[in-house]
Amino acid sequence: MDRTLTSFIAALRNADVRISTAETLDAMSAVELCGYRNREFLKDTLALVLPKTPDEKYTFDETFDQFFAFKDVKGESVVTELDGDGEEAEGEGGAGQGQGGAVGEGTDGRKGGGKKKKFSAFEEQQDEEDLGPGEMAQPRSSLGKLLMQDSRVELTVNMAAAAKEVSLEEIQVFTQKGLYTRKIMEEMGLADLQQEISVVRQSPSILDRRLGQELKKRREWLREQVRDYVEKQFLLYADATGKKLREELLRKVKLSNIEHRNFRLVQEVVFRMAKRLVALHSRRKKVFKRGQLHVSRTLRHNMSYDGSIFDLHWKSVKIDRPKVFAICDVSGSVANYARFMLMFLYSLEEVMPKVRSFAFSSDLAEVTDLFERNKLEDAIAKTLRDYSGGSTDYGQAFEDFRNKCLDEIDNRTTIIILGDARNNYGDPRTEILKEMYDRSKRLIWLNPESRNTWNVGDAEMRKYSAYVHQAEECNSLTHLERIVGNLLRTIQ
Amino acid sequence: MTDIDKLAGSVSNLQAGFESHRYICSSQIATAVYLAYQLRKPVLVEGPAGVGKTELAKTTAEMFELPLIRLQCYEGLDEAKAIYEWKYGKQLLYTQVLKETLDEVLQGAKGFTESVNRLHEFGDIFFSEEFMEPRPLLKALKEENGCVLLIDEVDKSDHEFESLLLEILSEYQVSIPEIGTIKAKAEPPIVFLTSNNTREISDALKRRCLHLYIPFPDTELEQRIIHARVPEIPPELRRQLVTFIQELRDLDLKKVPAISETIDWARTLLLLHTESLDANLVRDTLNVILKFQEDIDNVDAEITTLISKAIKN
Repeated sequence: MDRTLTSFIAALRNADVRISTAETLDAMSAVELCGYRNREFLKDTLALVLPKTPDEKYTFDETFDQFFAFKDVKGESVVTELDGDGEEAEGEGGAGQGQGGAVGEGTDGRKGGGKKKKFSAFEEQQDEEDLGPGEMAQPRSSLGKLLMQDSRVELTVNMAAAAKEVSLEEIQVFTQKGLYTRKIMEEMGLADLQQEISVVRQSPSILDRRLGQELKKRREWLREQVRDYVEKQFLLYADATGKKLREELLRKVKLSNIEHRNFRLVQEVVFRMAKRLVALHSRRKKVFKRGQLHVSRTLRHNMSYDGSIFDLHWKSVKIDRPKVFAICDVSGSVANYARFMLMFLYSLEEVMPKVRSFAFSSDLAEVTDLFERNKLEDAIAKTLRDYSGGSTDYGQAFEDFRNKCLDEIDNRTTIIILGDARNNYGDPRTEILKEMYDRSKRLIWLNPESRNTWNVGDAEMRKYSAYVHQAEECNSLTHLERIVGNLLRTIQ
Repeated sequence: MTDIDKLAGSVSNLQAGFESHRYICSSQIATAVYLAYQLRKPVLVEGPAGVGKTELAKTTAEMFELPLIRLQCYEGLDEAKAIYEWKYGKQLLYTQVLKETLDEVLQGAKGFTESVNRLHEFGDIFFSEEFMEPRPLLKALKEENGCVLLIDEVDKSDHEFESLLLEILSEYQVSIPEIGTIKAKAEPPIVFLTSNNTREISDALKRRCLHLYIPFPDTELEQRIIHARVPEIPPELRRQLVTFIQELRDLDLKKVPAISETIDWARTLLLLHTESLDANLVRDTLNVILKFQEDIDNVDAEITTLISKAIKN
């Protein structure tokens, strides 16, 4: 039964739950203890051993329900069956279907009956004539024979072989599920079966017609099985690859070109990047002040040497977290970049607790409160809604900033300005920027435009870049990650 | 088979055991204790403040009739306060005593080498368990019949301290450079670590633990908890106040009321001989369940709708 567990763990890993080998071993000993008999108990047990954050628990719940979904119409406890005929499941596992066909379905015939109603909807709508139970003719096509044999094991083996033939493991995106289902059915000999069904249904013999009905039922049941099978394999192999592909793309694409429907995914990527940075920088560093003796600690440590002081201890100071002021141009052209930068900065709350943010297009306002009180997405939406109107005026924005909080900038503050420096030919007010530059620890200007257009038209980048420590092009998530990563490194 | 083995033999036994100690828990929580006992693994308990994380450890100790050893974590906690420290005073006295007997020991020794050799032969107890002051972690390992070790709010401690815990959590032993490794007695302690999630616990620590997340309870479970904790309260009022609290948790509050607040509130209402919730009463006692003036103001505005919902249901 370990195979079941390992393929479940593979599915979990695919769903972005990190599980180490040691945890797999733990899970095995835990399962040994609790067994597969009680589904809820199994779930509780695995939920304690495998996922280690609330988020992962949520994913775990979903994956567990999907993976251990037993399609049993009669609602019998199939888990018991799993435990009981473990050998059979093992055998089928060998045929490539992890937790196996033991997911069983009582006797095939009855099951088929149950399924029929559901699927007749998109099959031929004609009413079935009631032929009553009784003898029926023998099927002639190979798939038909197989279906009438009531042998689940053989069918599963056949299905797995067909899946291999059409290389199911290459499935990448969910839209391919239908395609692969059909391909596998065809590989198993669907065409012959269809042919046979249509022939026997037209046949005058009642035996033949009975066979026709039965075959049709079982064909639907088979389709269901194949679909389940594909679904499970998809869960195992594909889900993450497709997503990874998209994420890879999203990291590189220009932020302004990201479509609205992808925002959720981008947010996930941003959170993940942020989390990595947090992990990297969450350790607070101590700097030792050589030269200042920590008297009490030294005395305490040297007591064991009869009070002779030779093991010296020095005072150390914990380095404060960086203080960041983010000033974002949220006018139309730059709004999207501002969205993602704010998202990034606030996802880093754990390592940068003191972020104050300001938004402007012409007038500047502080939006820190918005972010404190609302959820991240809402806060960003509100910021963009309230401040993005009006034509860009950097001079006015700097003026406002000077009036509001220039005094609060000290030599530990880093200022990040995000904007394209397109000032509509207004007064750039570089003298205020210089003042900010002088007072702050670092002033970083992020410009979403590419470097060679920085000084074209109404852009004032040349004037501004004289008064910044660093001016960077920043228009994709990768850029953003690199810059924020550097920020954390230099500050600490 | 000891009592503990019997109790921890199945999840339902545990659940009943907890209930008899007035701790109502979901099957998930009972399963965690069951696995912790059977697999000898520590449990990392996470969840919002006031859902009974610490209480779980306390009740477990009470139920198994084991001593509870508690280590409260805070920033700056180090091994001298968590594992062991030397009794410096006594060590100093010892050296004084040693000085006086030194002449006897060295009597007749020829040359420096022989003196040193003699000194080496002389049993040295300067760094020995006699002069060691065991702190909570070491104490827990030394308990003969096992114990419950509660490492509270592990997220408040420093990263360095987390690494210090790794050895004791996976091997139930600590290494002391001057003495060697001290292993747990026959029964290793049952370890609970609690965290409020103020920062991420390192993967290394998480890997060694079972991870239990205790969320806020649903209405039914919370009613049972209140019934167990404040049995005197009339059922109708209990239903009303639990519904009210559940409604509050859906609001956008700075700090949502936890179970401990519900219990406090139930006691308060009992003290005031309340029969049924009404707006004035709730307004007067709101500060029992809400801890921020801002939240109180927010809720105040909607108090009548909330109460009517609670009474109607």
